[in-house]
Amino acid sequence: MKTIKIIVSLGLFCAMLPVNATLRVFACEPEWAELARELGANHVSVYSATTAHQDVHHIQARPSLIAQVRKADLLICTGAELEAGWLPLLLRRAANGQVQAGQSGHFMATEFVEKLDVRTTVDRSMGDVHASGNPHIHLDPRRLTTVAKALTARLETLDTANANFYQAQLEDFLQRWNESLTQWEKQAAPLNGLAVVVHHQDWRYLLDWLSMRAVATLEPRPGLPPNAGHLAELKQTLTEQPAAMILRTAYQEDRPSLWLSKQTGVAAVELPYTVGGNAAVTDLFTLFDDTIRRLLEATE
Amino acid sequence: MNWSAVDPSILGPAFVAGLLVLATHVPLGRQVLARGIIFLDLAIAQIAGLGVIIADRFGWETSDWPLQLVAISAALLAALLLYWTEKRWPRNQEAIIGTVFVLAASSGILLLSTNPHSGERLTELLAGQILWISYEQLLPTAVIYAMVLAVWAATYRHRSSLVFYTLFAITVTRSVQLAGVYLVFASLIIPALATHRSTKGALLPSYGIGIVGYGLGLILSALFDLPSGAMVVWMLAVVGTIWVGISRTARRKAT
Repeated sequence: MKTIKIIVSLGLFCAMLPVNATLRVFACEPEWAELARELGANHVSVYSATTAHQDVHHIQARPSLIAQVRKADLLICTGAELEAGWLPLLLRRAANGQVQAGQSGHFMATEFVEKLDVRTTVDRSMGDVHASGNPHIHLDPRRLTTVAKALTARLETLDTANANFYQAQLEDFLQRWNESLTQWEKQAAPLNGLAVVVHHQDWRYLLDWLSMRAVATLEPRPGLPPNAGHLAELKQTLTEQPAAMILRTAYQEDRPSLWLSKQTGVAAVELPYTVGGNAAVTDLFTLFDDTIRRLLEATE
Repeated sequence: MNWSAVDPSILGPAFVAGLLVLATHVPLGRQVLARGIIFLDLAIAQIAGLGVIIADRFGWETSDWPLQLVAISAALLAALLLYWTEKRWPRNQEAIIGTVFVLAASSGILLLSTNPHSGERLTELLAGQILWISYEQLLPTAVIYAMVLAVWAATYRHRSSLVFYTLFAITVTRSVQLAGVYLVFASLIIPALATHRSTKGALLPSYGIGIVGYGLGLILSALFDLPSGAMVVWMLAVVGTIWVGISRTARRKAT
């Protein structure tokens, strides 16, 4: 009897202790997982639903995804319909009230920045366009700064006890980030005005930041695979309007860009796109280091 | 290994969905195998999807209910067509079914080349992901399947081909949306194939193989963090193969 009492009181004692002092973060994409790690450091434990080698428009259902959302305190995703194919289903199945839309545990990065290509009317014939604008915002380091500030504010709301810690983390991050930003912009000066062919519209913000121009897209319409007629048209476009390179991400098929490269002699370049996109890209800083290095190499 | 995902509230709805699919597909699968028309489900499912694309094309705003209606109507039309071809050219039925499947799939690609939005619809119809299902969504399917099984039992002695094709079309149109084409095909064919040598009382082992396959597949997908549908397909095959081995040794010992 006595031992049972001890066990019960021990159990009660353990239940009263804060079991896990860290905020549990569920990130839809590796870039937000990394940003959460930068800003939350040892006060957050981060799970990323996808890797750089997955197309986040479509993912396969795994039990762990539901389990992770269920125990998350904060969900960080891109929003702007990027995850429309699976996030609503996942949120419904996980039934975690804390991270549902409208709650403070629900953080959509695109809600905090100005988006490009917002359409007032979306016509079915336009292809797989997002009415709420191009969602691939993380490749503009200036917009990333805005998201970092908003995320810090959110972390402070959710974990008020450590608000000072998060504020200090943000200041430290922004200092390093701004230094790098100046350096990247200096390095990337030769890229200014350069014409490129893109696979999908996922480079919109990178090109906007570096003042580069997309003269053509491998996909005839967003979300549709390249077809023969369109590739022939592209070849024609490129003879009239030469481009410096053809860009694709690590998760996109390389055949269309290699085909066009072979036909036109324009270099095909695979960029990391997000954290983990290649072995050298281990955080947000190396993501931009590597991207700019590859772009510069391709122009030589 | 990840034990936290082995949670009845996560795997439960998917398992119940699996039981529903098995309830109808095991008896249907035996017929499919006996008739030698194993690609029937692929053809029917593809045509159900094609119906939705065409409806989309004509500007019908296909929300949930009309979408289901269009899908079922298209599947029923396909069933009628295949019923007719079976009467007309019984020996070529399997080849005809295969051709209908590729034609439906190719028409889908041609129609979708200008409209990726209905592509999402097609994916929804063909690549259902069993893990996303919630209990509430299973209710309409349960009602429909109960009716299908009632008709199936009522026509036990004299079941015309027309009844078979009709029931099949209704069943498969629902199940592909729950479980996706691969899992539907596996649920239909593997339990039936593993037990096809025993003519009497084979239904019970077929159900057993199906249930153990789904259970193992879901648990392993949770433990190793792998996509659930594909894992269940593999476990159905593994359990089916083990059953074939066991029943063969049992038969050998008996003789």
